[in-house]
Amino acid sequence: MKPSVPAVRAALWRSALLAVLWWALTDGRADSWGVGSVSILAAAILSLRLLPPVSTYISRVGLLRFLIFFFYHSLRGGIQVAWFALRPRLSLRPAIHEIPLRLPEGIGRVLLANTLSLLPGTLSVELNGRRLCMHVLDAAAPTEVEVRRAEVRVAHMLGLELEET
Amino acid sequence: MTTIEIASVILLLTGAAFFFAGTVGLLRFPDVYTRLHALAKADNLGLGFIMLGLLLQAPGPATVLKLVLIWLLALAASATVGFLIARRARQNGIVPWQSGDRE
Amino acid sequence: MNTLLSILAVFLLANLLVALLRVARGPTPADRLLAALLFGTTGVAILLLLAFATASAALLDAALVFALLAGVSGAAFAQRAWREEEGTHDDD
Repeated sequence: MKPSVPAVRAALWRSALLAVLWWALTDGRADSWGVGSVSILAAAILSLRLLPPVSTYISRVGLLRFLIFFFYHSLRGGIQVAWFALRPRLSLRPAIHEIPLRLPEGIGRVLLANTLSLLPGTLSVELNGRRLCMHVLDAAAPTEVEVRRAEVRVAHMLGLELEET
Repeated sequence: MTTIEIASVILLLTGAAFFFAGTVGLLRFPDVYTRLHALAKADNLGLGFIMLGLLLQAPGPATVLKLVLIWLLALAASATVGFLIARRARQNGIVPWQSGDRE
Repeated sequence: MNTLLSILAVFLLANLLVALLRVARGPTPADRLLAALLFGTTGVAILLLLAFATASAALLDAALVFALLAGVSGAAFAQRAWREEEGTHDDD
């Protein structure tokens, strides 16, 4: 069987990434590349076995915007929860919110659910098909607005279409 | 002290402060869900600041990459494990604390 | 600088200790699972600080392994161990 173009491309990309990883793990020592090249090759083959090349599209601008969004809002999230913890009177008003996601099935939803746990006030509790169940620290906070904003960022990064709910 | 060292110290102290806030949250918050909020957010931010502070002192680019890798792994671990604990807690019928309840 | 790093490491260790005592008290099994998260963040931070304080690169690798294991062991505990403890043996 002749390997297809995407398969060769995926193999090259993954080997390059693994080589960078090896370089970081060994602090760039030159005498480690003998073992390294064998390990990299083996890891690349194994990764292609476990996760065959899929045509995942990642927009570079989208990735950058997602990262900026993520860092800014996780900073907000940390400050908010620190404020809740340190202020003299405990003023939590937790609640469970359920929000129907507009992202299509797959990696996007999982990424969104995990991201939301690190963003202000939200903690993903259950992802059941389209329905995302969240624990929020402040029942009155505009949770849905925050979720929608994160959703748009994830969709933009992965090149996904948002569906009507 | 050079400017870089001062910046590093400020980042490290900020990180420690977030860890402290996370611990206080863990002690004061009323149930497992709210405690998860404290750990997932405050401690990860604390680790992020500690990592940034140490980045400025890193001896070479390989160490920088390793630090970033450690932080990303820790982030992924916290988000995933936090989600799994919360889901399991809900499935096993642990009812979230409400503001009317006694602590 | 090294003194500061050591002091911060001790401070975080005290944090970890207090948090672990709290977590061990429960009251629910879910609260005890939070220990997995604590080692993934506070534990890693302590190792990073000590790696730089003592200039021993090996501790960085230890921190890396901690971060990896925190994810895997945390997931395993949340999915498996707790179920056994509750005495429900349904497989899904």
